[in-house]
Amino acid sequence: MRSKNVVYLILILGLLSVLNLTYAQDAPEVSEKGKEVYEESCAHCHGTEGRGDGSAAENLLPKPRDFTRGLYKIRSTESGQLPTDQDLFDIITEGMPGSSMPGWETSLSANDRWEVVAYIKTFYDGFKESETPPRQISLEGKIPYSEESVEIGKGLYTQFACFECHGQVGRGDGTSAPTLQDEWGFQSWPANLAQGWNFRGGNDIDDIYKRFIGGIAGSAMPMFEDPAFGLTIEQSIRYNELDNKVEMTEAEEEEYNQLDEKMGNAFEILDLMAEGSANEEQKQSYATAMKAFYEKSWHLANYVKSLSSEKRPEPAIGKNVLRSQYTESDLPQMMDAAWNTLDSSYFPLVGQIIIEPRQFNPTIDSVNAKSFYNDTEVAFLFTWDDRTNNTEVEENEDTGKTFEDAIAIQFPVKIPKGPTAEKPYFLWGGRKAVYLWQWKASAVDKITELTAKGINNAEEQEVQGNIEAKGEYTDGQYRLWVKRTLKTDDKKDLQLEPGVFVPIAFSAWDGANGDVGTKRVISSWYSFVLEPVPSSRRFIYPPLVALLSFGLLVGLREFVRQRNT
Amino acid sequence: MKTKMLTCLTLLLACGFGLFVFADSHEKEEDMNKLVFSKEKYKTMAVKSGGKISGVVKFDGEVPEMKKLEITKDKAVCGVTDKFDEALVVGEGNVLKNTIVYLMDISQGKDFDKEAKPELDQKNCRFNPHVQIIPVGTALTVLNNDKATHNVHIFGTSKNNTSVNKQQTKNRKKMRLTGAKGAEGPVEVKCDIHGWMKAWVAYVPHPYFAVTNEKGEFTLEDVPPGEYKLGYWHEACGTNNKEPVTVTVAAGGEVKQDFTLKLKEAK
Repeated sequence: MRSKNVVYLILILGLLSVLNLTYAQDAPEVSEKGKEVYEESCAHCHGTEGRGDGSAAENLLPKPRDFTRGLYKIRSTESGQLPTDQDLFDIITEGMPGSSMPGWETSLSANDRWEVVAYIKTFYDGFKESETPPRQISLEGKIPYSEESVEIGKGLYTQFACFECHGQVGRGDGTSAPTLQDEWGFQSWPANLAQGWNFRGGNDIDDIYKRFIGGIAGSAMPMFEDPAFGLTIEQSIRYNELDNKVEMTEAEEEEYNQLDEKMGNAFEILDLMAEGSANEEQKQSYATAMKAFYEKSWHLANYVKSLSSEKRPEPAIGKNVLRSQYTESDLPQMMDAAWNTLDSSYFPLVGQIIIEPRQFNPTIDSVNAKSFYNDTEVAFLFTWDDRTNNTEVEENEDTGKTFEDAIAIQFPVKIPKGPTAEKPYFLWGGRKAVYLWQWKASAVDKITELTAKGINNAEEQEVQGNIEAKGEYTDGQYRLWVKRTLKTDDKKDLQLEPGVFVPIAFSAWDGANGDVGTKRVISSWYSFVLEPVPSSRRFIYPPLVALLSFGLLVGLREFVRQRNT
Repeated sequence: MKTKMLTCLTLLLACGFGLFVFADSHEKEEDMNKLVFSKEKYKTMAVKSGGKISGVVKFDGEVPEMKKLEITKDKAVCGVTDKFDEALVVGEGNVLKNTIVYLMDISQGKDFDKEAKPELDQKNCRFNPHVQIIPVGTALTVLNNDKATHNVHIFGTSKNNTSVNKQQTKNRKKMRLTGAKGAEGPVEVKCDIHGWMKAWVAYVPHPYFAVTNEKGEFTLEDVPPGEYKLGYWHEACGTNNKEPVTVTVAAGGEVKQDFTLKLKEAK
């Protein structure tokens, strides 16, 4: 009896394996391994069926990719084309900066990553059915980076209407930015071009160029089109000049009309080309126009490249700590040129994910700071990028509820003695209290001093004084100037003296990103120091030491020589 | 013994069937907001003494006030006219504009009007028309009558038609977008630069489609005699994919079929 049961079991298992076999035959290139790796490493965000709806997806923005529609943002291929396998492999390997997608280079073997590529492709039939490989973007005719090229690119930035979303100076603060959505209806912020290290597909000039030509599929970023198609760069600039004139002379009008006609013809040919009905002559002029378009795009790529540093700046620790510079005169006001003589210290920010409500999708990358001090006062200049200027709580049907933008600068009340001494808890203190400067976008000239013993345990100080502030929002950036006396009479305030390293930390709120209360971006403790006044002794001691060591060396040499003889 | 074997087999079959049904239902959920096309390839033929199907689509329910759209930018161009959310346009007598009415299961009939050139106009930052049908393979001409830059973003949801997102600056008055490869839709059209600009296009495989006008009227002409399933789609009211109306068209006859639609249930 039992043996018969075993036989049935084998029969059932056999049947099941046949079913499996049929599946395997349908997609022979896909292995069990790819599925296994996918389900272990990818499915939590991207979902077991590849719909971008894994259990973690809810908390993420940008959302995990939905693989079922074949729309991939980062491609080396032309608009409307699928990505190459290498494109998919590269994204898995390197991750997508500025999003939740990590690079898997160290945690998955190259072999596993390729298996996953094959598996991901099964979610979209288009991969199987396309008979020709996707058309790749040609990098031919690349224009090397130069100041001149950047300058031309800057002009084209306006003409190509990039500012509509990316803003006048490229901080992602264009007037269309707040309403942008992807094809799934999720909010989709335009890139802050001044923070190239957050570009999802990398910030090499080639990467930037590929995003122009190929578009970013599924997002609001369109495939580029030359707004002055058929015109050379010089003609484009001229056309724009004339277009912006309030009144044109007769000669100018004629010139304008000629250019306009040339452009109209080129656009017509563009349509004919797309329909495959252009004649030889038209094909020729199309090729010429496209060449000019590619040139323009390279200049534009060079310009975008110029807007940000090559890499994310080094954070303000070690040799990069914020050093307040001594000056004998009055401290500079907010817009004074003196600030330009200092380098910024960079304080990276991350989402606060320790205490509910959390911020999993931060939009503020960092705060930059500079500082001067004199015998009685210290002044700081803080800057941080925020795509929108929110000064009040607003309820919007399309974009949801938004709050007020704000920042808080945090110090300990008592400076820990020595670098190893315990600091207050970095999240607005705990047992040890912190001293805070809080500033809000609705009252730009006001700064409030707080004392806190925990993120939900802060109170305004009774004595507010000895402190001034001025804030401003322009082109996607907040600029906050704060000045305080070095010493105050209030025991709850931080007291400052030169040469002492002071812990400093930040909290910031982007109201448009739903930041309010504990939902915010934060930093850990960094340091700043009032750089001690350079003493005139530096001209005496170092040369003296050098002289002494030299003498010692000479003596030593003589000593060795005499011993040897 | 036999019973055990049978039980096992039944169990197996049930599992398989369950999986099948489960996989299928997932897909259907999405299809509820789409048009239905016959699986057979549409064949064109000369239609003699065809019939006519016409009617009026009405709205049932409290008519909400049309939401005025907030013009957030380019006010000099876009702010010239007031714009409203056109998801539900109800006229006097509760007639419903912008409803697609069509034959679901027709597989042969007349050819498309070859002269027709579908156009989507952008004027004062509004798309016009709000809903339109485009024969598969036919190019859509997009006009820019604004001194403003638009981007024409047509969502694609199938493997035949991936999304199109092309910039149309103020310099380009006219742009032809090559036709979709397969029947699909309706799909959304958006201008991301002016986030309030929305429209719908449906890529259709045969000419028996109509969009209701201001009076809620539709007409399908030259329908070969026979029995058909009559379907509708409306942006805010959804479809009747689950229970289409069956109409019988006699040679040279005219069938009247009205519809009364309610708002889709909010998810």
